[in-house]
Amino acid sequence: MTDVLFYVFGGLALACAFMTVANPFSRSPVASALFLVLTMVWLAGLFVLLHAFFIAAVQILVYAGAVMVLFLFVIMLLDLKEEERRHWNRFGVGAGFITVGGLLAVLATTIVRSHAGAGLTPELEGTTHALGLALFQRYLLPFEAVSVLLLVGMLGVILLSRRDLK
Amino acid sequence: MNLWLLGPEVVLVLLGLSLLMMDGVVPTARRRLLGHASAAVVAVLCLYALSGHAGLPEPGYAFGRMFVLDGLAVFFKALFLCAGVFVLLLAADMGDRLGSGVTEYFVLTLFALAGMLLAASANNFAVMYVALELITVAFYVLTSYQRSRVASLEAGVKYLILGALSSAFMVYGIALCFGASGTMQFDELAAKSAELAENRLFQVGMLLVLGGLAFKVAVFPFQIWAPDVYEGSPAPTTAFLAIGSKAAGVVLLVRLLGGVIPELGLKWEMLLMVVAAVSILFGSLSAIPQRSLKRLMGYSSIANGGFVVLGLAAMSKAGSAAVLFYLAGYLFTVLTAFLVVAVVVERLGTDDFSALAGLHQRSPLLAGALAISMVSLAGVPPLVGFFGKFLVLKALVEQGTALPSYFVLGGIAIIGVVISFWYYFGVVRAIYWNQGPEETSPVVVPPVIRMALVGGVLGILFLGLFPGSVWDAAVAAVALLKF
Repeated sequence: MTDVLFYVFGGLALACAFMTVANPFSRSPVASALFLVLTMVWLAGLFVLLHAFFIAAVQILVYAGAVMVLFLFVIMLLDLKEEERRHWNRFGVGAGFITVGGLLAVLATTIVRSHAGAGLTPELEGTTHALGLALFQRYLLPFEAVSVLLLVGMLGVILLSRRDLK
Repeated sequence: MNLWLLGPEVVLVLLGLSLLMMDGVVPTARRRLLGHASAAVVAVLCLYALSGHAGLPEPGYAFGRMFVLDGLAVFFKALFLCAGVFVLLLAADMGDRLGSGVTEYFVLTLFALAGMLLAASANNFAVMYVALELITVAFYVLTSYQRSRVASLEAGVKYLILGALSSAFMVYGIALCFGASGTMQFDELAAKSAELAENRLFQVGMLLVLGGLAFKVAVFPFQIWAPDVYEGSPAPTTAFLAIGSKAAGVVLLVRLLGGVIPELGLKWEMLLMVVAAVSILFGSLSAIPQRSLKRLMGYSSIANGGFVVLGLAAMSKAGSAAVLFYLAGYLFTVLTAFLVVAVVVERLGTDDFSALAGLHQRSPLLAGALAISMVSLAGVPPLVGFFGKFLVLKALVEQGTALPSYFVLGGIAIIGVVISFWYYFGVVRAIYWNQGPEETSPVVVPPVIRMALVGGVLGILFLGLFPGSVWDAAVAAVALLKF
């Protein structure tokens, strides 16, 4: 059952991710953003299968909820009409396909041939208790460094969007 | 918990936070003093790193061995802090021309510096990634700081997109490495590196991680951003990118290739050689037609990145020590060059070669400093650039007995050096021999920048004439690597 669900969620997540970047039916950025929301939802499903319930909930609440709503607001406020025009750059598309195809082939053959994941435990310690211990004991240093990183991000956004252009 | 090991990082973050607080109280005219004050603090930290830390009997660990303070980390910390002093002084001099708020520029520089120190000490993939992101995110803002200049915004956007792409590569690589080995801890990976070197999943993961680091060092095939970003960014940012961000990538490359996965590194000798050779040739050849000094430095940075990878490709302690020495020399040369570029751009309004004409009459100090740094970059004895290149090539030739392709690589490097003579001396010619415009009014150099320039030139001369002390420090720093 879990195996079947894994492939279902995984497949749907991949399909939605593809639709986010290369939707053949619509060029609207809003459609892309909504597909990104769906990708997040299916990823949350994968976390549930790993018994990482807290991360699954956070995935829905923070990413699919808060972050994506902000994304949508920005897209709608900016009114991106330009993006709907299709313009193909033949060299760009060709080079892109070759690069992505090559990378995909290397990764796929490696993952298939190396029998990845053999011998690993299928379930994570995904409770809030275990997560808290990991964050505040084992990974305390990177966790604290991330707080500085977030401050830098905040500072940057304020600086770059401030009004007083000289 | 050995929190004192993280002293410099903690001080830098606290200094940044207090600058943010003080920005509200200090009047606008005095903000420049904040930059000078923080440069002084960073200079003290640099001296502390050079003296107190250097006598470590054995590596110190903190936070469950996630943070390591060994010779390698100390060497690079001193290097980053020294670069930080110059960059802060330069930013303080540029002052209002930076656009939105000069204090925030100091703060972001300090936070990026803290990230670099953390990267030098990273002993775990998680710490490494967070430290690199801290550097990169700070640079996204620092590159696009002059919002009123389109070139600066363009540089920021290009750096953002390519930086995000390389971060994505790296984090996916880390995930694959973790999946294959079950650990992100460098010393645990090193313990089973022989076995992991045969694991295909680990190999691909490591390749992606190295790709992400290659973006930082600006070597082939991740070099394409360098010229545009160097040209568009404000001069202090460019200087910091050229030495700080590059050295942060190099310290992790040295630690990974030398300390964690030497077996895999030996397997990939050929890959490193090709990367080095193509970077040197690409950087040198593309630099020839350039007319903008900053853009020229962008291409020169790619070629110099190639030389750094060349030293790593030797896969020997001598090679790694040569890389460390090379960077120490590059620090002074590049910073001197950018001090001049910053003043020239500010006073003359452009960094095109035509503006340099007659500079030796308008300001002998600027002309002399720029000429010395260019000659040193070209690799003329007795300046430091010569010794850097010489030591790297020497390490390469020593390995040549084992694998003849090292001789081919050495030959390519020498061709690169010969080509680089052409464009570096083009700059010198533009300063001293080109017919200038009528304008001959002297260019005024502020006293702080004059001091920094003299310091930089003394560094170039001192390291060139007496390379012994830094070379010894570099050899001691790589003593724990496992070649």
